[in-house]
Amino acid sequence: MKFTGNRALILGGSCDLALGLARRMIEAELFPILTYRNQKGRNYISENLKDCQKKYSSLYLEFGNRDSIDSLLHQTGDGIDFMVDFAQGNFESLVASANMEDVYSYFAENISFRAEVIKRVARIMMKNKRGCLVFISSSAVKRPNPGQGFYAAAKLASEAIYKNLGLELGGHGITTATLRPGYIDSGRGKKFIQDHSKEVIDKIPIKRALTKKEVAEAILFYLSNSADGFNATEISMDGGLTAGK
Amino acid sequence: MDILEEIKKILVEILDIENHIITPETYLIRELGAESIDLLELAVAINSRFNIDVNDDEIFLRKLRQHITEADQKNKDIVQYLIEKLPFLSCKRLEEIMADLEGGQTLKVKDIVSYIDFQINNFTVLSVVDV
Repeated sequence: MKFTGNRALILGGSCDLALGLARRMIEAELFPILTYRNQKGRNYISENLKDCQKKYSSLYLEFGNRDSIDSLLHQTGDGIDFMVDFAQGNFESLVASANMEDVYSYFAENISFRAEVIKRVARIMMKNKRGCLVFISSSAVKRPNPGQGFYAAAKLASEAIYKNLGLELGGHGITTATLRPGYIDSGRGKKFIQDHSKEVIDKIPIKRALTKKEVAEAILFYLSNSADGFNATEISMDGGLTAGK
Repeated sequence: MDILEEIKKILVEILDIENHIITPETYLIRELGAESIDLLELAVAINSRFNIDVNDDEIFLRKLRQHITEADQKNKDIVQYLIEKLPFLSCKRLEEIMADLEGGQTLKVKDIVSYIDFQINNFTVLSVVDV
């Protein structure tokens, strides 16, 4: 795969999917910049990429803390060619029993804050006259389980922001895509699949969960020159999970 | 650095127009037909060229009519109120704008120049460090 640019900002860089992607990026001679929100995340990144010294960097970004955007972008400067956004707080609650303080802060952190990051990064990409952003959404936006209403709402709102960015700046060399993975045998999904194995697999037409390697390859493709024609769109990658009833 | 000349160069590039038609008195939207995406591009280019932070609402006078309504509701002198909200514009220029409101969008090239001049002389210039 060929790429126009080299430096890739990865939001939510301490999750397993992001780390898998970072490793794959390094193999492809890209330079991932992974964000972490606390020391634990920072340590997890360095443990997982300890054999890749100087081939990546990790920087602090805490969703909800607006000062952390300034600090992050002060350190990256204009050197952002790609952005992959895995960041998402977990919030499970039945709609009718939700704590409203939590709802307000969840949407502020996962929608408004994200909008600010997107705005700031888009302006950097405008200076560079190119850029590609991939948002990692979820099949839960089409087929949520009970308790995932706020999570799905935040994902859908974020998808809309990315879509509009692609609409507005496609003519300036900046494209966006949203990937909606289904069940992945990694991170939060791994435990869910272990706990509900038969029930989950029965729902998926390909009769298996996705691997994190498959997801990383797909993201890398969407960042590559081969995917320049994809813009302002959502792509389901769920083994057919959301296609049927 | 001649701010006006730099702005003219940027506008020529963004709007694909001839340099000589741009003067300090040129209206960006009314005469040059700048659209919102062009103004966004202009803001990004100004940030890059002059190394200053750009507030799109301020530099493009987007809240001008809202400020006028607020002044009216608060029974304040409109020009004095606008001086507080848009400190990069002179009293004389604000009076001009007030007299020109019926004509539509009042933003002129000289307003952009004033904003940049004000930012350069009143705020710390951003420094960007590469990692």
